[in-house]
Amino acid sequence: MRIEYHIEHPIRLDIDLEVEGFTALLGLSGEGKTTLLKSIAGLIQAKKGTPFDGLPPEQRPVGYLPQGYALFPHLDVRRNVAFGLDKTSSDHQASADFWLERVGMRDHASAMPHELSGGQQQRVAVARALARRPRLLLLDEPTSALDIVTRDELLERLIELIDALGIPALAVTHDPHLAAISDHMAILSRGHIVQQGTPSEVFLSPSSLTAARLLGYRNVLPGAVKTCAGYECVFETGNLTLLGQCAQPFDPNQPAAAVIRPEDIEVSPDLFRGENSWFAHVHKVRTEGTGMRLFLDHPAPLEIRLPLESAATLKDAVSRGIYVHVPPQRVRLLAGEHDHSMPG
Amino acid sequence: MKTDLGRKDSVFTFSIRKGAALLAASGAAGLLLLTLPFFSLITATSWSRFHLAPGDLAAVEVSVIYTAVALIFIVFIGTPTAYWMARHRFHGKWLIELLLLLPLLTPPLAMGLLLATLYGPYGWVGAPLQHLGLLLTNSAPAFILAQFYGAAPYFIIAARTAFEGIPMELEQVSLTLGKNRWQTFLHVTLPLARLGLATGLALAWVRALGEFGIVLVIAYFPQGIPVKLWVNLQDIGLGAVYPLLWLFFLIAMPFPLLLGVLSRRGRLAA
Repeated sequence: MRIEYHIEHPIRLDIDLEVEGFTALLGLSGEGKTTLLKSIAGLIQAKKGTPFDGLPPEQRPVGYLPQGYALFPHLDVRRNVAFGLDKTSSDHQASADFWLERVGMRDHASAMPHELSGGQQQRVAVARALARRPRLLLLDEPTSALDIVTRDELLERLIELIDALGIPALAVTHDPHLAAISDHMAILSRGHIVQQGTPSEVFLSPSSLTAARLLGYRNVLPGAVKTCAGYECVFETGNLTLLGQCAQPFDPNQPAAAVIRPEDIEVSPDLFRGENSWFAHVHKVRTEGTGMRLFLDHPAPLEIRLPLESAATLKDAVSRGIYVHVPPQRVRLLAGEHDHSMPG
Repeated sequence: MKTDLGRKDSVFTFSIRKGAALLAASGAAGLLLLTLPFFSLITATSWSRFHLAPGDLAAVEVSVIYTAVALIFIVFIGTPTAYWMARHRFHGKWLIELLLLLPLLTPPLAMGLLLATLYGPYGWVGAPLQHLGLLLTNSAPAFILAQFYGAAPYFIIAARTAFEGIPMELEQVSLTLGKNRWQTFLHVTLPLARLGLATGLALAWVRALGEFGIVLVIAYFPQGIPVKLWVNLQDIGLGAVYPLLWLFFLIAMPFPLLLGVLSRRGRLAA
């Protein structure tokens, strides 16, 4: 389903987006993600938009799940799900039970919303939205109120259910994890879709610095491309020269930025052979639950993420200094965009 | 060191207990001060010679019937006003809010004078209405009008607060589930606002039933309970007002007290 919406208020948006299966729209807070969903649902007036242009919200065939799920607190679970069904139809209660069964909440049909956990509330909200057989399901930050374990389990079931029903779903989020497991994804920046495609395409080749930042590329090194041979370029940042890859050829000395994921950088107490290797002192170490983060200052500021087992073998070397290696295919070179929100 | 810490602990516990006792004493004193007049009514009433004055029952009838009618107007006019104020943002809203508060802030006697000016036989609204046969002084409509002005602001303020407390997303989700705005109001907004609306209604009921200042100016007749209490006091004396006063409490209080009990038990809470 193709979504084309032009919105003037409360934020200017010009959206052209393909929704295929479970589609994630990734964007920073305040970019207008919720505004877009509300416009598609007819709750905010768009200047123009297809599909559903001009229809009042109650006539649009969409299922809308806001953040927090908005279950009606005065109705039990079954009546929440039956809310949008035709009350004159004799089987509307049975239909509600069917949808509760589909989301695994049949046993909680008589419970009140406040008696449910966040994950259970989300499942009821999904059942309520799907019970009307919408042509499009809209989800606003579906993972924001869930813990990691519940999030993964619920997302898996939700995507399976949506795929089984064949209803396209658009989930807006700032969670790259949600985007990574979607069927299709897009990035919203400054009111436009700046990139869309399958998660593997987008995650491996961010098209802009904003996209890179949203996708978890925490290392952004400003500099210039010296030379290019096809899509392989030599890039200089300060005293460091890197070999990296670009989506489009650069002109010699063109300003650019190299973006690298913290987990794509390799470290060792011994010298690496090949390109993009150097010796560095560790400026700061931060131990995390499943790994360790190393921060380097020189010759370029870098953040490195290591799994716990590699961190253990490097314990002594960290204080003396380490050898760093970034595979050239993991260095993405992007055109120098004046993005003042970027760190580094 | 341990002993020192223990001493500090016990001093701290003592000061907490002392503070709690002081707070409880202040609360009890406040409660006593507020309820004392009501207890004095029990002792002041001459139970052996307890009887109503002539015309008291007629006053009760006037008050109950006209207050019920005034409440219908208050609900039908006040509910959309309160909802509009709760849900819409526009330039100059503060001015509308101020205008809505004016009847509440105006002393009842002054409000009565203003109503007499507007709705009286020479007022620019009252004069043409009188030509059409609707007399808005010393008449049943005047009585209801006085009660409306005295009680409507209380209902509107309570109802507005109740509507503002309902997350807009619930109404928005209802729309996306195929309900139109009226159905959404009926099935989502009203049930969720019922506690606040009931509180507003109870307040309006008591205020309308007890309205004296405005009624005195524009609707001395027909006499409701408050004016009849005043007349009894003037004509017979203090002892003659107690039976009607008991009747007033008997009529006015059950509704708000029942709501209080229901809301505490959570039956009205959303």
